[in-house]
Amino acid sequence: MSMHRRVITLVALVLASVSAAPALAAQQGSVVLPIADARTRTAVEREIARAAAKGLPVQPLIAKANEGVAKQASGERIQEAVASLAKRLEQARALLAPSMSVAELASGAEALVNGVPAPMLKQIRASWPAERSVVMPIDVLTELVVRGIPAKHALEQITALMRRGATAAQIASLGQSVQADVVAGLAPDAALEVRARGVMSLLPSPAATASLAPTGSRPPR
Amino acid sequence: MSDGQDRIIAQVRATLREAPEAQADPRAVAQLLSAVWAAPRPSAWRRFLDAWRVPALSGLGASAVAAFALFAGFLARGSVEPRAEREPMMATGEFPTPTGAPDAALAGGVPVIPAAAIGGESAPVATQFVLDRADARSVSLVGDFNEWQGGALPLTRLESGLWTATVPLAPGRHVYAFLIDGTLMVADPRAPKAGDADYGREGSVVMVFAR
Repeated sequence: MSMHRRVITLVALVLASVSAAPALAAQQGSVVLPIADARTRTAVEREIARAAAKGLPVQPLIAKANEGVAKQASGERIQEAVASLAKRLEQARALLAPSMSVAELASGAEALVNGVPAPMLKQIRASWPAERSVVMPIDVLTELVVRGIPAKHALEQITALMRRGATAAQIASLGQSVQADVVAGLAPDAALEVRARGVMSLLPSPAATASLAPTGSRPPR
Repeated sequence: MSDGQDRIIAQVRATLREAPEAQADPRAVAQLLSAVWAAPRPSAWRRFLDAWRVPALSGLGASAVAAFALFAGFLARGSVEPRAEREPMMATGEFPTPTGAPDAALAGGVPVIPAAAIGGESAPVATQFVLDRADARSVSLVGDFNEWQGGALPLTRLESGLWTATVPLAPGRHVYAFLIDGTLMVADPRAPKAGDADYGREGSVVMVFAR
């Protein structure tokens, strides 16, 4: 085979691989899980294939299986964890519609397993335009709940910031500041109250926001 | 870092500048960049090229194909959209904190893509991780950003006995742990703890965001 033909064939293979990637991912036939036990591996692959057939993202499921291997969990436990995550991803997809990004669904699933009530994901999604990622608000809500702040209280503060035009970084700074305060010994509720007040003070007043924002404008990213 | 890696990163940067912001998943970008930076061994792609014996594509050509594949990946996004960022490790204070300087020079010569080149707040953020474990022979970072793959993100040992790595992470909340000597998984003692309902092994949490 001439060099020229080899190059052409190689390029064709690359193109074919790229175009076939979604189908392959959906079938999950190409996923190689580092699970030594063949029975467990087959069962986990079956779980992942089922999720893929439902249109769910498979990367978080693969990561969950890898996490179990890294943590030396039993095969049964890995299988249960993957199946459980698949259910949470499906639930998150319904709650966060029309969001479809893997990052948002993964964040939603993580929120659910950490005790964030399901309806709150819907409220987060509704607080920003559909085209704007809600990964950060969800992640901050999760972190606040994990640190012991009542979910309702945390949601109120986060959605208030979102509606006031806070950026994702400002919302994240709230989460990180509260996290640090709690680790340092401050009461979770008190930390949230004072930090939310701090971020809120950086935002324009509601009246100013209304008068400055032209109709249909997008909030800052 | 090799010339080949430099070229790939340069092309990734160029591709990202041209891509509409909405098409670039920052977590996917971070995963890609971390994969490039953390690959000291011959890649599967390199081995594949060697097998084909195509010298014309083994250097600059491979970089072009990689950039093309990235672009094609953007087009295919929606059905193929990785969550994950590959990477991170931070902490070293009372809790982990991003460096806050997306374009600052990083430890170990790891480059950082300026936020403006990728998309403002959604750009990967350079994040440093530190572990004080002088008795360890090797330490690597595992977490949701690299799909918990041990060994993919090794830390560098300093003369002081501290281990460190600085990696680009997508903004958001990340759970991670250190893998010592390839087998022992430990949480970051300097970071807030993360529960683990699935496996019962406590990890650590870092909140990453562009300052």
